[in-house]
Amino acid sequence: MDPYSTPRPTTGGGSPVPATGRLAAAHAGRLAAAHAGRLAAALVGLALVLGACSGAGTATPVSIPPDATASTVPAESSGPEESQTPEPAATFPLTLLDDEGTEVDIPVAPQKIVSLTPATTEILFALGAGDRTIAKVEDITPYPPAADWLPVVAKFGSVDVEKIVALGADLVIAGGNDFNPPAAIAQLRRANIPVLVTYAGNVEGVLADIELVGDAVGEGPAARDLTASMRAGFDQVAAAVQGLPAPRTFYELDATKDIFGPADDSFIAQMIEQAGGTPITTGNPAVFSIPLEKLVAADPEVIVLGDAAYGTTPEIVAKRPGWSTMTAVKTGAIRPADDVVVSRPGPRLVEGLVSLAIAIHPDLASAFPSPVPAETPGESPAPSSY
Amino acid sequence: MIAEQVAPTTDRAEAADGQAPIVELTGVAAAYRDRTVLRGIDLAIAPGERVAIVGPNGAGKSSLLRVITGTLHPSAGRVTLAGDPIEQLDRMAIARRLAVVPQAASLPFAARVEEVVGLGRLPHEDPFRGHRPGDRAAIAAAIDRVGVGGLLGRDARELSLGERQLVLLAMAVAQAAPLLVLDEPTVHLDLRHQVETMDLLVDLNRRDGATILAVLHDLGLASHFFPRLVLLAGGSVVADGLPAEVLSDDRIRDVFGVDPGFVRRAGAPGPAETRDEAGGVGSVVERDRDAGPR
Amino acid sequence: MATRTDILGAPLAHPGWLERARSRPGVLVAGSVVALLVVLVLAVGLGTVAVAPGDTVAILAHRLLGLDIGGTWTPAAETIVVDLRLPRVLSAMIVGLGLAVAGTTFQGILRNPLADPYVLGTASGAALGAAIAVLIPVRTVFLEFGLVQVLAFIGALLAVAVVYRFSRTGTLAPLTSLLLTGYAVGSLLAAGLAMTMYLSGTNLRQIFFYLLGGFEGSSWLQLALTTPIILAATVAILLRARSLNGFLLGEEAAAHLGVDVRRERVILLGLASLITAAAVSIAGLIGFVGLVVPHVVRLVVGPNARRVLPLSALIGASLLAGADLVARLVGGIPVGIVTAVIGAPFFLVLLRRARSGYEL
Repeated sequence: MDPYSTPRPTTGGGSPVPATGRLAAAHAGRLAAAHAGRLAAALVGLALVLGACSGAGTATPVSIPPDATASTVPAESSGPEESQTPEPAATFPLTLLDDEGTEVDIPVAPQKIVSLTPATTEILFALGAGDRTIAKVEDITPYPPAADWLPVVAKFGSVDVEKIVALGADLVIAGGNDFNPPAAIAQLRRANIPVLVTYAGNVEGVLADIELVGDAVGEGPAARDLTASMRAGFDQVAAAVQGLPAPRTFYELDATKDIFGPADDSFIAQMIEQAGGTPITTGNPAVFSIPLEKLVAADPEVIVLGDAAYGTTPEIVAKRPGWSTMTAVKTGAIRPADDVVVSRPGPRLVEGLVSLAIAIHPDLASAFPSPVPAETPGESPAPSSY
Repeated sequence: MIAEQVAPTTDRAEAADGQAPIVELTGVAAAYRDRTVLRGIDLAIAPGERVAIVGPNGAGKSSLLRVITGTLHPSAGRVTLAGDPIEQLDRMAIARRLAVVPQAASLPFAARVEEVVGLGRLPHEDPFRGHRPGDRAAIAAAIDRVGVGGLLGRDARELSLGERQLVLLAMAVAQAAPLLVLDEPTVHLDLRHQVETMDLLVDLNRRDGATILAVLHDLGLASHFFPRLVLLAGGSVVADGLPAEVLSDDRIRDVFGVDPGFVRRAGAPGPAETRDEAGGVGSVVERDRDAGPR
Repeated sequence: MATRTDILGAPLAHPGWLERARSRPGVLVAGSVVALLVVLVLAVGLGTVAVAPGDTVAILAHRLLGLDIGGTWTPAAETIVVDLRLPRVLSAMIVGLGLAVAGTTFQGILRNPLADPYVLGTASGAALGAAIAVLIPVRTVFLEFGLVQVLAFIGALLAVAVVYRFSRTGTLAPLTSLLLTGYAVGSLLAAGLAMTMYLSGTNLRQIFFYLLGGFEGSSWLQLALTTPIILAATVAILLRARSLNGFLLGEEAAAHLGVDVRRERVILLGLASLITAAAVSIAGLIGFVGLVVPHVVRLVVGPNARRVLPLSALIGASLLAGADLVARLVGGIPVGIVTAVIGAPFFLVLLRRARSGYEL
């Protein structure tokens, strides 16, 4: 699964076409932003605490339950201690290997950064490099609000290379797997602008990318702090779901025409596993649609609505012809999720994982006093329906 | 009705000055895939002759023309043009020796009359620069000769069939080749245009010395306007000579399977019986050349 | 010349402007060249980033001609003009030129006014080649030509070769056979393409970008590799204009006029397919240019290929560069949409004027 896109299929061809429509996700975006805002602010705050042995006194929403395994968050954020990843010297010039294997030379600490993926925008702001970011890609679920004022120099499928050159960018961070047109990336490089291409195919990759971006903008330590806290969050979730039965979970991306869900070995499938579920996948790493019969045969025990932001409610799902035989429908285990935080390979991934875990194991809601929407099947998510 | 008898200017292949025949076929056979269309053809046409090829459908008339123009390769025998074996001639060389008047072809694009006539200069024009003044003069002369001057500037696709046929004839004339070949030129024309076309061919033959070789299906036209007929049937030459000799009653019955009375129109003079009977040139229908066909 | 005369020297009474234009091909060519230069300066000067026209000319003069005509500009402006816009505009021009020339040639040989450069399956072949390239999990870039461009080029040529080979069997007339085989093979390849797109999953994006056509990825190197192919083949076709003219009345008439039909057909179709393949490899599938430009030119100067070819080349180049400029200014829409918006109404007008009776 390509974590960069929220597949909104526009053709009935069986494989998802990336979102080209402008579905009104503003409400959902703001909803998610509101809830996640506090988390993000806290993470930013954490990141800004550099070299301080902050210890357990730091208040973060992702608090560590007393009985959880010890996390290494406080230790990681201290500078001089040995950490798992070697702290790179925040000195330039620097040569980094991007996710496509290209060596990228960054001569000076970038002061005019351009972000060409929504996740990168979030990462830059989370690392405190938001003030050095001069332009961004269009994001239909924009986050963080601080980035709203940035001019847009790219849309889905096109990059305004001229504008980027005219703005005097000294670092561009782009998305791999053709999220941004490779031709545009080549043109930027030919214009002597360093371009770092990131692509995370799995959860570990997201963490690696955060650190890569951090190194590229001279915020290495902050990046490592962030990833450490994210790892802690992941561990916390892992601990919470350990020993719990892992229900068969189907993450619905879209079902307006064909049913779209996670492909084998995809990002979402991984997330579901880490959230304590057994993912129901399409059966093929390259195919994103699943026939209804196959889904019925797989009999999900939990259905997570990744398309909740587009107006899909549990009631609608329950009424779908042929779906009533599924365990999830019978027991009402149909829960919405914010697809943006679940699939965006950025700093809010922990929040996404937590929300996914709660969707799969609602009892965990109390263990995570996090600002994730705690909608249960009984509640109809009124704000989303419009 | 016109009755024009013209004296044949040559006697078979032996011209007075002993020139090589403009076309000569010796023992020619030809086939399309497995179907033999010509067998054992011996034919010689001298420069300046006016010859019509007649015969029933499927006799091989068009195939014979194709062999002569080089678009059908014979499976046996020899074909020479002005003494040169046709295999040794490239298409340009053939185009300089004979000009074919196509059947009224369709045009994919708008083309003016003068542009269509101008195509006839293709074998002569400069490959890179196109028409030179000499070519333009030849085009103008051809248009004048055939009498289509009144159609200048018009889209050839908008002309009537008769007008289009004349334009194509002008194109062939512009090609300025010694031999003019026509495959059923009158097939879509009304009677008046048929006759006008025939008159024109006779004129070209007599005044300009062009050798004319035409496939005709109309025996009446053929026998009136052509002093030599070649009768084909079943892929072979059945008769070759004066119309009266070739189109004997027996022949007509055998080859065409019809009552000979249908060929001779009641009250109309028959084909020239002997050379001496052939009268002078003259056409009952006056043609105003400058105005073009009406 | 004081008065216009017809071919026999008789004066034409009131020559309209069309008639005057037709009789002065030199003026038309000169005018087209001027238009091309104007489009060049406009297209290089305009874009999402404003560069003053004076600066544009100064930059061009400085970098291309070595002249210093004064004026100051930022390095960014120079990068934009010379490294981003100029290769893009020139690419659009060379592709427009190629497509127009190829369209003229296909229409002439196939004697079909509806023929365009893609009629023999080049479009489907190129698209399928590109799709296969996207599927292959190998990232190779050879001389800035990605696998997509290379396989698109090969796919286009292979498709034509297959069509030509298959059309030789059977008893249909060669032209009819070519067109019908082209349609059949094209459909088959399109089905293959649909299958490939189905299997490609997330790689769909790149195939879509390619199919929509565009010049976003233009570079000097790509230009340097495709321009010689397109120009050389164009010149080669122009040198054979005489043969192309011969086809006007049909293949048999062409043979009788002295054209070596079989040889010229292969050569001309081969050259036109080569141009199309090269154009498609850097620009994707852009329609209407190859179809409409030759007709518009013929409306003015008639069917003589010696005039239609050079004028179509110049006007095709201007048209596509202009369309690319419009596409950029409107907001990065694919240039194929602009050419369709311009071309479709033209095409409809042409259909109304078309006469029936052309051979297939």
